[in-house]
Amino acid sequence: MSDFWILLTGALVASCCGVLGVFLVLRKMAMIGDAISHSVMPGIVIAFLLSGSRDSLLMMFAALLCGLLTTFLIQMFQQSGIQSDASIGVVFTALFAIGVVLVSLYARQVHLDQDAILYGEIAYVHWNIWELGGVNMGPKAVWLLGTTLLIISTVIGLFYKQFKLCAFDPALAAAIGIPVALFHYLLMGLVSMATVSSFESVGAILVVGLLIIPASTAYLLTDRLGLMIALSVAVGVASTFLGYGAAVLLDASIAGCMVCAAGFLFILAFLFSPSQGIIIKKLRIRKLA
Amino acid sequence: MRKGYKTNSALRRFIMTIVFLTVTAIVTSACGDKATTGGSGKLNITATTGMITDVVQNVGGEYVEVSGLMGAGIDPHLYKASQGDVKKLDNADIIFYNGLHLEGKMAEMFEALEKRKPTVAVSEYLTEEQLHAAPGQGAGMHDPHIWFNVKLWISATEVIRDTLVEKDAAHADYYKEKADSYIKQLEELDTYAKEQIATIPEASRILVTAHDAFGYFGEAYGLTVTGLQGMNTMSEYGSKDVSKLRDYLVEKKIKAVFIESSVPKKSIESVIEGARQLGHEVKIGGELFSDAMGNAGTAEGTYIGMVRHNVDTIVAALK
Repeated sequence: MSDFWILLTGALVASCCGVLGVFLVLRKMAMIGDAISHSVMPGIVIAFLLSGSRDSLLMMFAALLCGLLTTFLIQMFQQSGIQSDASIGVVFTALFAIGVVLVSLYARQVHLDQDAILYGEIAYVHWNIWELGGVNMGPKAVWLLGTTLLIISTVIGLFYKQFKLCAFDPALAAAIGIPVALFHYLLMGLVSMATVSSFESVGAILVVGLLIIPASTAYLLTDRLGLMIALSVAVGVASTFLGYGAAVLLDASIAGCMVCAAGFLFILAFLFSPSQGIIIKKLRIRKLA
Repeated sequence: MRKGYKTNSALRRFIMTIVFLTVTAIVTSACGDKATTGGSGKLNITATTGMITDVVQNVGGEYVEVSGLMGAGIDPHLYKASQGDVKKLDNADIIFYNGLHLEGKMAEMFEALEKRKPTVAVSEYLTEEQLHAAPGQGAGMHDPHIWFNVKLWISATEVIRDTLVEKDAAHADYYKEKADSYIKQLEELDTYAKEQIATIPEASRILVTAHDAFGYFGEAYGLTVTGLQGMNTMSEYGSKDVSKLRDYLVEKKIKAVFIESSVPKKSIESVIEGARQLGHEVKIGGELFSDAMGNAGTAEGTYIGMVRHNVDTIVAALK
């Protein structure tokens, strides 16, 4: 049974990240997942110092606020003309550093960092059961991620055309009266919600990896947005399955193997993609010659 | 138009490759499962740290099959579960863990698991008075390094004994007997540590290590303990920590400082260098085992061997 829950959780994370990852890659903001994984630190520290508890719901809420603040600041800096990679770098390093300073000032003797407080581990999800009136409802992570996925697909589904236009041609979108900034903030809000709830369930590296790699793989395979999202989710889900298989064979870290599998699929696409793959390109040139 | 068609068929082939790989992965993982489950009529026990694994082995003897999650030299704060570890925890009849937040977020999982199988913290019997508060913290935060006071570890052994007796009543007498003889060994160890530390001149009874793991050890055996890093091996040490510790070494004329098996020694070396520039020679007194034991098969790979090693190393360097 553990295999089933781990794979389901992995597939849910891959789906959440796969959908949002495409938009982030298109907007050249793929590193935002990594940024949030660091910038939640001050939120956690402040919540701990104020409440004195490590309650995971409270910590998640604090992390979510911090995630929203991060994405908001990044978006704001970017809109005022700073390059997107620089604004991501500025915001998350500064916020993370505030967290480090707070720990060194007020909480030196306690084990306080994202790893100990917030990050979950996909290996343990099937033991963390949600019980409702004594009835076993399945792992908490599955519910949390399922809800997140539902919200993401509802919002993206409702405003698909707007998101699409904002991603490819914000100027045109603005010209025809779409509130571009609002949709950027909305997307960023979804990203911070998805990353924080995934961090809580499965840990950082898996989320950051699945946010970038499958979307980049899909980017190599197609030019159509709808197909790109579908492929991104498919590659993400396939990575979790492949990675789990590898983890069984090697007796290794599950999250690590899943991200490696995603990397492996990316390399395959990089070499053999029908439109972008370097081998296919070489073959095509030889045929022409 | 034709090119678009070609691209699509190539894309389809690419997707088929991924599907094929995924199916292969599922089949192999399903097969891999069967190999790991083995029933031998023994009680299957999984423990987190090497120290707990060792005690369970000593008390359970021939009626238990013990597997440990954290091997030699692994820092519990940095431990990552592998797929095999998930299976070990799944197959376990009883799970023993340290508790007091040593295992970090894993502890939440153990608490959730408690409803379905016996999951026992070996620190369970310890009272508020026996535990150290983690300095500067709110209520309920304790120093988890209880294995450094052998007396506290005897209490952990009692937790393990009582749990085994309760879950496997058929062999209750065997477990009690084994536990008694092991506790006797631990009492001898406790006396040994006290006698040995007492041979160090009183002014030199100062233990300087890289991180604050030795609080219980110091209290039990009469040493003043100072660490460079906080309790948490992840947190960075500030430059003030380095200079404060350096001045302390010079002022108290401390002869030796110690490095730890599971903490990099770079941090403590900068302090030694600093003291040298002030004209005070400090040497590295040796390597102490703190959060993890030595390799299996060596003397330091058992709890008793590890404590003896620590005591002998400290005495040799400070005497």
